[in-house]
Amino acid sequence: MTAIPVEDAVEVADDHGSDHHDDGHHTSLGLSNMKLAMWLFLGSECLLFGALISTYLLSKARFLTEVLAGNPEVLGTLPANLIEEFQAEGSVEPLFDIPFTSASSFILLMSSVTMVFAHQAISKNDQRNTRLWLATTAALGSVFIAGQVYEFTTFYNEGLRFDGNLLGSALYTLTGFHGVHVTVGIIMLLSLLVLAFRGKLNQDRAETLELVGLYWHFVDVVWVLIFTIVYLIP
Amino acid sequence: MAVIEEPLALPSGTTKARRPLGAFSRPRNATGLVDWLTTVDHKKIGIMYGMAAMFFFIIGGVAALLIRLQLAAPNSTILSADTYNRVFTMHGTIMVFLVVMPIGAAFANYLLPLQIGARDVAFPRINAFSFWVFLAGGLMLNSSWFLGGGANGGWFNYAPNNGAAFSPSTGIDFWNLGLFIAGIGSLSGAVNLITTVLNMRAPGMTLMRMPVFVWMTLVTQFLLLFAIPVLTAAQLLLLLDRQFGANFFNVTQGADPLLWQHLFWIFGHPEVYLMILPAFGIVSEVIPTFSRKPIFGYPFMVFSGIAIGFMGWGVWAHHMFVSGIGPLSVTAFSVATMFIAVPTGVKILNWLATMWGGKLILNTAMLFSIGLVTQFTIGGLSGVTHAVAPSDTQQTDTYYIVAHFHYVLFGGALFGFFAGLYFWWPKIFGYKLNEKIGKWNFWGMVLGFNLTFGPMHILGLQGMARRMQTYDVSMGFNLWNLVSTIGSFILGVTTLLLFVNAWKSYSEWKAAGRPNVGADPWDARTIEWSIQSPAPEHNFDVTPTVSDLDDFWHQKYAEDDEGKLRQVATGDELAQPGNGEGVHLPAPSYWPIVLAFSLPIVGYGLIYSLWFCIPGTLLTIISIYGWALEPADDLDIDDHGHGPDQEMEPAV
Amino acid sequence: MRNGLSHMGKKFGSDMKILQSKPQLKLGLWLVGFLGLAAACADESKPLNTFDSDGEGQGPKATEIEGLITPIFAIAGVVFVLVIGGAILLTIKNRVKPEDYDPEDLPTQTHGNFSLEIMWTIAPAILLAVISVFMVQTIWDLETKNAEGELDVMVIGQQWWWEYRYDVDGDGFYQDANGDGVVDEKDAELPLTLALDPDDVVTANELVIPVGQQVDLEITSRDVIHSFWIPALNGKRDAVPGRVHTWSVEADEAGKYTGWCTEYCGLSHARMRMSAIALTPEDFETWIANQAEPAEVPEEDTKEWRGRETFAANCSSCHIVDEGDFNYDDYDPELITKAAPNLTHFATRSAFAGSIYEIYLGDKDGDGQDDTDANDNELDVSDYLILPQEASQEAESSADYRANSAQLKRWIQNAPSQKAMAPDEQRGMPAFPGLSDEQLDELVAYLATLD
Repeated sequence: MTAIPVEDAVEVADDHGSDHHDDGHHTSLGLSNMKLAMWLFLGSECLLFGALISTYLLSKARFLTEVLAGNPEVLGTLPANLIEEFQAEGSVEPLFDIPFTSASSFILLMSSVTMVFAHQAISKNDQRNTRLWLATTAALGSVFIAGQVYEFTTFYNEGLRFDGNLLGSALYTLTGFHGVHVTVGIIMLLSLLVLAFRGKLNQDRAETLELVGLYWHFVDVVWVLIFTIVYLIP
Repeated sequence: MAVIEEPLALPSGTTKARRPLGAFSRPRNATGLVDWLTTVDHKKIGIMYGMAAMFFFIIGGVAALLIRLQLAAPNSTILSADTYNRVFTMHGTIMVFLVVMPIGAAFANYLLPLQIGARDVAFPRINAFSFWVFLAGGLMLNSSWFLGGGANGGWFNYAPNNGAAFSPSTGIDFWNLGLFIAGIGSLSGAVNLITTVLNMRAPGMTLMRMPVFVWMTLVTQFLLLFAIPVLTAAQLLLLLDRQFGANFFNVTQGADPLLWQHLFWIFGHPEVYLMILPAFGIVSEVIPTFSRKPIFGYPFMVFSGIAIGFMGWGVWAHHMFVSGIGPLSVTAFSVATMFIAVPTGVKILNWLATMWGGKLILNTAMLFSIGLVTQFTIGGLSGVTHAVAPSDTQQTDTYYIVAHFHYVLFGGALFGFFAGLYFWWPKIFGYKLNEKIGKWNFWGMVLGFNLTFGPMHILGLQGMARRMQTYDVSMGFNLWNLVSTIGSFILGVTTLLLFVNAWKSYSEWKAAGRPNVGADPWDARTIEWSIQSPAPEHNFDVTPTVSDLDDFWHQKYAEDDEGKLRQVATGDELAQPGNGEGVHLPAPSYWPIVLAFSLPIVGYGLIYSLWFCIPGTLLTIISIYGWALEPADDLDIDDHGHGPDQEMEPAV
Repeated sequence: MRNGLSHMGKKFGSDMKILQSKPQLKLGLWLVGFLGLAAACADESKPLNTFDSDGEGQGPKATEIEGLITPIFAIAGVVFVLVIGGAILLTIKNRVKPEDYDPEDLPTQTHGNFSLEIMWTIAPAILLAVISVFMVQTIWDLETKNAEGELDVMVIGQQWWWEYRYDVDGDGFYQDANGDGVVDEKDAELPLTLALDPDDVVTANELVIPVGQQVDLEITSRDVIHSFWIPALNGKRDAVPGRVHTWSVEADEAGKYTGWCTEYCGLSHARMRMSAIALTPEDFETWIANQAEPAEVPEEDTKEWRGRETFAANCSSCHIVDEGDFNYDDYDPELITKAAPNLTHFATRSAFAGSIYEIYLGDKDGDGQDDTDANDNELDVSDYLILPQEASQEAESSADYRANSAQLKRWIQNAPSQKAMAPDEQRGMPAFPGLSDEQLDELVAYLATLD
């Protein structure tokens, strides 16, 4: 018979036909399985973040209402200076250091650019630049995480506790959950880097890098959303 | 046959890797238990989904009978209030998450690749992982029976009653983490199956030639893909509240308990449709086969399924008409809910139109399908009556609702699944189920089912509220509760006839020397009947090329010169012989099960001591890397020169 | 293959005979079911019925809901008969008799019919649109009426009983939360406390309302979500902590209307019942005037007085009996809700413990009938205001009308054994095993003075 079954078998054999996109093997949609799956996964993630962002918005609004009404249970969870500032401003803006977070957001956005460079490098099988840009992306991501750790420490020192009130719970959860995503992304980038240094990250794996890139860009875009909603909109 | 003569040419520029990245090799030539534990075969995984679901079905069923026993008479004390609350919570949770959902997954796993002409799903190891992680979550949830007595917050688990202050026992934690873990399986399964359907169809299998079952499963998996993360988010909030002192549902800090309700039902209502749609798909295969006609209005069946999928997202707040969401929301959701009846009605009428003018073969599978059409209609109509919000203020949280959703989920989903079991049993196991016991099974279940849940309509309208451990003599609920309890035992016993049937039919088949049931015992329509029964491990000897809806049927029947339909070949004549020589199948793997069972260790750690989380998390990380780095395949046979060793997979 | 199929056909043959009788059996079952329903309805009293079976006893709101839903049920019934009947007829008519079975003899292969599909998409949509019009009308009609009543009552659910606060002075506020002696909007913004607006009255489990008047409810909760439902007066509305939901009830006739909590609220959800007692406007005025009075202190060294001592030593850390000088600042019960039923006018009620036990037993007005059943609507409320000590003037058989002392004592001594509660978790009433029989007697005698 023909070679069709052979191809089919091989496609199944390595779990995904993803690395065959350049050798003429095609799927029903023409998009590799891995890439399709990654898009689906990210679609699912949208709802996860959507739910958490909604939770933050609701919790912050309820928190502010209680602070403005002077509910003693809520006021008891905050130091006096924060209460005064919140009540005076009618918002939780005084908590944030917008220039600092803008800077760290900019760094995270830049890491998306370097991720694109890494992808371009590997498509040209430029090993040196692939390593360089992967390392840069991971480093920029780490700087962002370091910024977040610093920011959390500041919030904590200002008196905002995770288990204190609604704002604390919602703020730490939303930004922390995003931070976990960034961290996972950094781990994936570092794993790719290890592969690259062992010479295993050849052009065949361009798609793997592309997938990590997709995830990375998604996490960046989500941060733009979170930054706008949490920090910029009063 | 498909014999590999020589390695395929390598595309230029690729280097052929000889050495795997990981240190571990994949299990080879495994037999017996190890074979099942490490398998990545979608058919075995489908069977395991089914077996696990049946195991949980028995637990959930016993819980149901305990509930009915307690309610048989007023002021009964068979179960204490605490026990009763745990039993009804676990009954609902188990039936929804560990029975109806996995049976749907069982059919999807087994049938999807066969019906679209694929050798396996897109990601066989992720498929195995989905099953094991579902099982791990299910077992963790059920371990709570022995570790504190089960969850006690209701399957909906409303805040703030689910908080540590009002439910300090660990039952809710098991509910939360068990379902959290099982949800990971649903999510990875959804990604996998959607990719499979969209990307791995046989040549010629266009979207509008896919069997209705494939369509309904596709819609189901999309619902799962977007619904599960919302539940996961809610569970994350609850986890942080209960284990780490967060305040998301802490009313003294100003939290709004309705947040939980919104998140839960944004998940929960699509959930309802993703439980019923696979059953709709099944009967859409069974009714045409045994009416000996094509499905009536195929495109309308497909689009109404998609419509249900979309509309299912816009009606969640009809679970909250009395929660105080305001008259505007009530109006909007009430009207939206009314109109979701339209696509559902289209389906019912199309099934009836398929039967219209058909020549019906009333075997058990067909009877269960007709059972679905009729029983689901009752559930649908009662649904319309409480889509009317003012009326719902009287009916919600009464037994009227209990009656409604049991007509939908038992009379709908489970009847459909039973139809599917009787229909595909020969394809899965190689022998037919006994028709005589099958008829008893069906009529007994119809009788028991209607006796159990029919009276609940009346009880609900007479004011009997749900989740009540007991009621008073003077309330006037005595008679119908007794009837319902009698019915439930009839239902329980006759449901078990399925197991009796499986055992008896198997014994007889074995005693008769395991005769071949044939590839196509029902003169069926879709391409899974063009391969031998039971389906060979490699599915198709040759990937079929599809040129029609109901392609296999069109191969068997064609018009003669006078324009009359004639049988041109029997199914067995056309069937592929099942020779898998040279077909290369994915090797089994240890990692899916290891990764899956590393998660409950973290879960138990979150409940009992965070120290346990450390080994759990380590094992999780090791499994992910082990998985990512394990060789693509057995080195012995990974020599087609096709493709490199293995690549990283993100930890989905 | 052909042989296989005809073999299959023969195999059906044996089953076919059983089948022929089965659809009729199914119809018969339904018939028996409906006849049984009718019989059962006529037979037993159904105090919680959402449909007014005997044509009396429903409030106007419940009647409006019933008026909306009855024709919808009728339409659903017609569709039910058409679809189910059609399915059964099709099944019987189109089944293949085994002797006629022939794999070559295919039925006409119809694939669909576009106009038919459009028709059965549009037709139900139109029907549902028409229903929606009436439905939306009713939703808004009921909703807009919710705030129009003259009397406002705050309904507070908690595990596992109900508290009612009557806004007697009509200022719209129910509490003095900040304790500044002035009841104003600032108090309303704060979370619910026990500190009652001094002009208002508070009671538990039994909602007493005047006949023919809409009573507006502001429903909330102190702990978890409950749902307030008295089927004969209106649908239900959830009591959600941190939120206040407006609702209303109205009774056209004097009488007792029972209900129960309909949102799962934990351990004793099944024993969280309540009722509305609709009194004539005159009786209601008398009742509420009495409720505003402080409790009387019994004479010294009487049985009742000793009972009061026992109460002060054991019960008053949670239960309030306001003798006119109650100080909310000193009051901090060890309960999650920070509240237990206010017992100032305990003896004027007819039920206790979440309306699961009667406070009195026997024949109140001497008509030979037992007037008391906590879950029954048959209570004759024309004598609701008559208490045992006065009953002797009303009825000769007054000796039969007495406090339910035995049950009261059982309750006080070991409440968790009577109704599942979790006092260790600060939810519900603890047991008092240390109280002697004599102390219990005195306590019950004291409670009987709280009228």
